Amino acid sequence: MGAFVRIMAAVKTALGSEAKAGAANHQETRVTPPLVPGAQSAELVSSFARELEAVGGHFVGTFSATELSTRTLELADRIGALTVAIGAGVSFNTEPLANALEQRGREVIRCAPVGDEPARHALIERIARADLGIVEADCAIASTGTIAVTGTPARPNALTLLPPAALAIVRADRLRPDAAAALDSLGAETIANHRVAFITGPSRTADIEKLIVIGVHGPKQLHVLMVWPDDV
Amino acid sequence: MFQSRSKPTFFSASEKAIGDSDLRRKLANASGHHLEAAAQTRGEFPRYDEEREAARRIKADAIGRLDQLLLQLKQRLEANGCHVFFAADAAAARKYIVEVARRGGLKRAVKGKSMTTEEIELNPALERAGLEVVETDLGEYIVQLRHERPSHILTPAIHLSKEDVGTLFHERFGTSYTNEPERLTAVARENLRSTFLAADLGITGVNFAIAETGTLVLVENEGNGRFSSTLPDTFVAVMGIEKVIPRLADLSHFLEVLARAGTGQKITTYTNFITRPRGAGELDGPREIHVVILDNGRSAMLADPVMREALYCLRCGACLNACPVYRRIGGHAYGYAYQGPIGSIISPSLFGAEAGFLPFASTLCGACREICPVKIDIPKLLLHLRWKANQDGLKWPHAAVSARRAVVRFSGLARHPWTIRLLSRIAAWMVRPLARDGYVRWMPPPFNAWTRSRDFPVPKSAPRRKPAAKPHGL
Repeated sequence: MGAFVRIMAAVKTALGSEAKAGAANHQETRVTPPLVPGAQSAELVSSFARELEAVGGHFVGTFSATELSTRTLELADRIGALTVAIGAGVSFNTEPLANALEQRGREVIRCAPVGDEPARHALIERIARADLGIVEADCAIASTGTIAVTGTPARPNALTLLPPAALAIVRADRLRPDAAAALDSLGAETIANHRVAFITGPSRTADIEKLIVIGVHGPKQLHVLMVWPDDV
Repeated sequence: MFQSRSKPTFFSASEKAIGDSDLRRKLANASGHHLEAAAQTRGEFPRYDEEREAARRIKADAIGRLDQLLLQLKQRLEANGCHVFFAADAAAARKYIVEVARRGGLKRAVKGKSMTTEEIELNPALERAGLEVVETDLGEYIVQLRHERPSHILTPAIHLSKEDVGTLFHERFGTSYTNEPERLTAVARENLRSTFLAADLGITGVNFAIAETGTLVLVENEGNGRFSSTLPDTFVAVMGIEKVIPRLADLSHFLEVLARAGTGQKITTYTNFITRPRGAGELDGPREIHVVILDNGRSAMLADPVMREALYCLRCGACLNACPVYRRIGGHAYGYAYQGPIGSIISPSLFGAEAGFLPFASTLCGACREICPVKIDIPKLLLHLRWKANQDGLKWPHAAVSARRAVVRFSGLARHPWTIRLLSRIAAWMVRPLARDGYVRWMPPPFNAWTRSRDFPVPKSAPRRKPAAKPHGL
């Protein structure tokens, strides 16, 4: 406590007369382009796909909700994923997808709130051994090919961190033009209550001679599948 | 093992670095294509300059009411269930973190990339307390294995070639030698994955702390920060007091400029938002979060109205990449955790008078000011620090003092053409025997002050000068 008081006093002294209560509360005006529903969607999707692929991610495509299971199975086949970890959706129920994967002989790890410590450790170990982690992203950013994921008990961060490949499903109407708009739509409430991550492509480094290498600690593959919701 | 206590003087260290042609090749190689790519990324973003201005205005506002924002941040973090510790200096910060580890019986620490923990020299303190500390950023991992310090705030192993890393991994891990970055990275991934899963303490820095929500924002590319702040049960974040920004809505302006300036990416792979410990039923996230908020000379910078601008720094590393001095000598010659132009202005405040020579390690070319994402006027601050050093009765490097004296005398002599012609002949005659390979590298005192930081080309035969033609109109 002593240091806190001392540092605050030092800061106040340093600021001198400026450190008065209610000093200028500066606010930037927003320059985010307006989002016109429908009209801009195709443009946003193509920008998102281009940017995602530019950073080494893979854009699976844009499909109707009814195709979700088929397309996910195709992807799992293609990358040879035998064990798939899946979290609860944000806007839709992922159970039909989990069942479809199981019917095709995949081992499916369903993420549910964990009870005690041994259960927690066991689930982390299992997810770490999975070939593919699947989550629904809360939103995505078209200008950078970024997905935003929020951690919840049934949709843990580990899904997009531990397995060597991750698949994010995003509703096309949750695509935002830039980071400002994405932060705006997530809102302070979400940021304050969840562990949120913006993820842009697979894990990468340029630490050896500034040469880009994909797949350091996080996933080596990041796939994004976009869904046109039936009601849009 | 860490060398910062025994500092070779900057001048001899930089001379050695310049002579190291291998190092120069590596630095040129690493910064060359990188600078072009970064410039292209910025060129493709028409709003770049607007966003820089916005980011700068937000920093100016935040630093101008730092007391309010720090109080708000502390309150929000505590309301979110985090522990907050204000550390007046490096020793207080180290002591607190060691105490956290001791109290929790923690043994295995993983670190995400953090310059602030380099600043406070945390690793040796934790190791003395019996912890195993592993750097998990690939570049930091490499320099830790070599018992070196990082030579760049963003690319710690920039002074090493892929062959150097290949040899290191081969010798340390017995893996077959390779110089392919992909295979070397795979070795590190494999080694560090089990380290992450076994760690009980995660430590990272902080890029932005949002006062409004009490959120720590950590940007990175590899996942080392995300792992360190997600898997271990105890998480410690170390930040300077200047990292606080007012609102969530302010963040986008920084995200738009930070990576574009630093690495040439549009945004980094991961932007991690850390607000509160793991809740009931949650699988991951730390159970305990400690936020160490460090002063360590920053409030003194705040008190100097000119120096205050240095607190806007985002630690993007762009000024190092752009600096002609850094690009010739590399980071180690500076002798401190923060290198290059930004290091030269903040190190004297953070590490004391010993680092007072650093503001003189610049040509004032202004490339750093041009590239800075928050437009810090680094040359102005360097001149300010030089002026202050002069005021403090110093402590100018001898070379600078002698040079100034010499210039005053020369301006007297220069009014007498015959004298100067005679003196140049004498000087040329005296100096020629000292030359090796066309350069005079050493002269006897008092002239050695000049040759200490410069090599002097051998004078040709005695100079003959025609009197300058009279300018027209006189």
